Amino acid sequence: MTDGCPGTRQPWLVTAVWVALAGVAQAAPPRPAKVTCATCHRAEAQSQPGTAMGIGMELPANQEALQAHPKLTVEENGYHYNLERKNGAGTYTVSDASGALSLPIKYALGVHNLTFVLEYQGSFYESMVTYYQKIEGLGITMGDERIRPHNLTEAMGRKVSDQEIMACFNCHGTGGVSQGKLTLDSLRPGLTCDHCHTGADAHMQALAGGKPAPVPRKLGEMAAEEMSNFCGQCHRTWESVVGLRLFGEKNVRFQPYRLANSQCFLGDDKRIRCTACHNPHVDLVREDASYDRACLACHSATQKTCPVADKNCVSCHMPKVLAAETPALFTDHQIRVVHAGDPYPQ
Amino acid sequence: MLRALILAAVLWTIAAPGLRAATFDELAAQAAAARRANHIPEAIELYRQGVQLRASWMEGWWFLGTLSYATYQYSGCESAFDAFVKLDDKRALAWSLLGLCEFETGKYDPALDHLRQGLALGKDLPPEVEAGVRFHYGLLLSRAGFFDQGKRELERYARGGAHEPMLIEGLGLNALHQPLLPKEAPAERVDAVMQAGTAARFWILGENDKAEAGFQELLRDYPAVAGGHYLYGTYLSYARPEDAMAEFRRELELNPANADAGAMLALLLVYANDLPGALPYARKAAAERPAYALTEYVYGKVLLAMGDLRPAIARLETAERLDPAALEYHMALAGAYSWAGRHEDARRERRLSMDMATGAKRPELNAQSARGGAPPPETIDKTIKQ
Repeated sequence: MTDGCPGTRQPWLVTAVWVALAGVAQAAPPRPAKVTCATCHRAEAQSQPGTAMGIGMELPANQEALQAHPKLTVEENGYHYNLERKNGAGTYTVSDASGALSLPIKYALGVHNLTFVLEYQGSFYESMVTYYQKIEGLGITMGDERIRPHNLTEAMGRKVSDQEIMACFNCHGTGGVSQGKLTLDSLRPGLTCDHCHTGADAHMQALAGGKPAPVPRKLGEMAAEEMSNFCGQCHRTWESVVGLRLFGEKNVRFQPYRLANSQCFLGDDKRIRCTACHNPHVDLVREDASYDRACLACHSATQKTCPVADKNCVSCHMPKVLAAETPALFTDHQIRVVHAGDPYPQ
Repeated sequence: MLRALILAAVLWTIAAPGLRAATFDELAAQAAAARRANHIPEAIELYRQGVQLRASWMEGWWFLGTLSYATYQYSGCESAFDAFVKLDDKRALAWSLLGLCEFETGKYDPALDHLRQGLALGKDLPPEVEAGVRFHYGLLLSRAGFFDQGKRELERYARGGAHEPMLIEGLGLNALHQPLLPKEAPAERVDAVMQAGTAARFWILGENDKAEAGFQELLRDYPAVAGGHYLYGTYLSYARPEDAMAEFRRELELNPANADAGAMLALLLVYANDLPGALPYARKAAAERPAYALTEYVYGKVLLAMGDLRPAIARLETAERLDPAALEYHMALAGAYSWAGRHEDARRERRLSMDMATGAKRPELNAQSARGGAPPPETIDKTIKQ
């Protein structure tokens, strides 16, 4: 599943290998009892479940942040929020002078920052407050800063449409949406191989049955624009951000949008695509210097070098920005020359 | 109306003795005096005599047109502004009034062109005049079958708080994609059209609960009304795409030739990553409704998602030319150019899209968008065959 995967680069080779394996199998059964992605793609299959995308969300049994902070409180917009975890279950309570509304926390979406999906009177709500790792506490959920609730229900959270809630579960979990309908009984946290590598499950099952297997599309063929749209299905595409007019610092978390606004973004070039810097099968690398190689893939070739430094490019050209009025800090993917005092380019 | 005509006739009788003037200058002075004294029929006659003496007298044509318009004399108004714009084609108000008069006299095709011309020049149009011009322009765009463009104009008018029956009927015809003016709607369809318009207005105003109830009531009362399931599907497509697709399929069962329903179904299938499912609907819609912005856009989106860049760009460029005010078309084209390595084109479209989205810029109405954006057929052929 990586660029180096021979099976998809040279179909004849994988066929030959399977023919050989089939021969071995005939000569010396048994075949492995269960074929999984890890059977062939061991490194990726081992590391990916531990990544942010592999985790995706927390169900009641393993809500680590709430386990570490069994009681979280905050006052926002005149309402009191209290998140408590007792006996292995979390409760989200909002109250004011008029009363209180308490709901079970079934779904905590995210990894470092957790936003809660709540069910109330047959509808889904995005919690008005989010757990932010940076402050180890609660704050207003990103994107909801302008909401001024008028009652406990509105203060509890923002009612979301069917389309939006399906998008939430589809990007944070697996099996939660099927044929355009919510199927939460089969929801599992995080993204599995088949989420990005469509057809991977069928490919694996065919191989397990000893049949010729259709090879999923090789994502390494994608150049920058196509990959931005692909990853943007969850991280937001340039079109979706502009179409929804999500301007200002809050759009710093929509990396494909920010990247496409960069002067150096060339849609037909693989050197500026998402995977040029990020390997989705391993956790996010946080050392600035580790990204220099990607920058120098273009800038050394054109002799256009930086007059200030020759390393840690992203520390200047991709500044850290707070997402609107929240404690969540993001790397701005709009790569540029940043001058002190410049306004945020929306 | 009758009272106005009687009043005009009386004024004409009173004013008649003063109509003879020795020179053009005396005639012009008398006309201005009559206008200032609010002796409208007298002023109209004097201006008429003046422009007969001197056909290049712009002030005469101007006041002859405006006074005729104010007194519901649309034919005379039309002639006056037709002459005026031949002398000065840079006046937004003149083009606008010419178009409004032509609307009233039933010359709908030139009215559409001339209202567009007025809006294209009309940065200085008074807001109340611009609102009226856009309303009539929207009605005419719908009548010509350019429903998306017409919808935008009617929406602007409705957001201003208007709710008169003609607007509701216009919104209803537009929403059901029936290419008619309110006064042309057959009597047996008016109730369904009004129901559709009422629900559409709630949707425009963001009163979605009332809008949805209205759409459901429409389909309960008129389950087979042409365009009804398409309209409800369009409403649902924002929040419940699966339900929206079912409505579009239902519309296609009832009206297989509804290319808009086919195009919207294809678009939702693209969003659902079902490209093999989307392609036949998009192709069929584009074939049935050629040189139409929505069908060109959707077919372009499908081709783009399939990585078929060259024909995708041709389709998207056509859609953009047909309807340059549609943000979605510019955004899609930006992505297509970017993917194809046309970096400067991509940046230009991205900048334009951002300006449109932030309200910094509205794309100017150009010659090709004069009639809702229909370019000459030869242009379309050339584009598609590239």
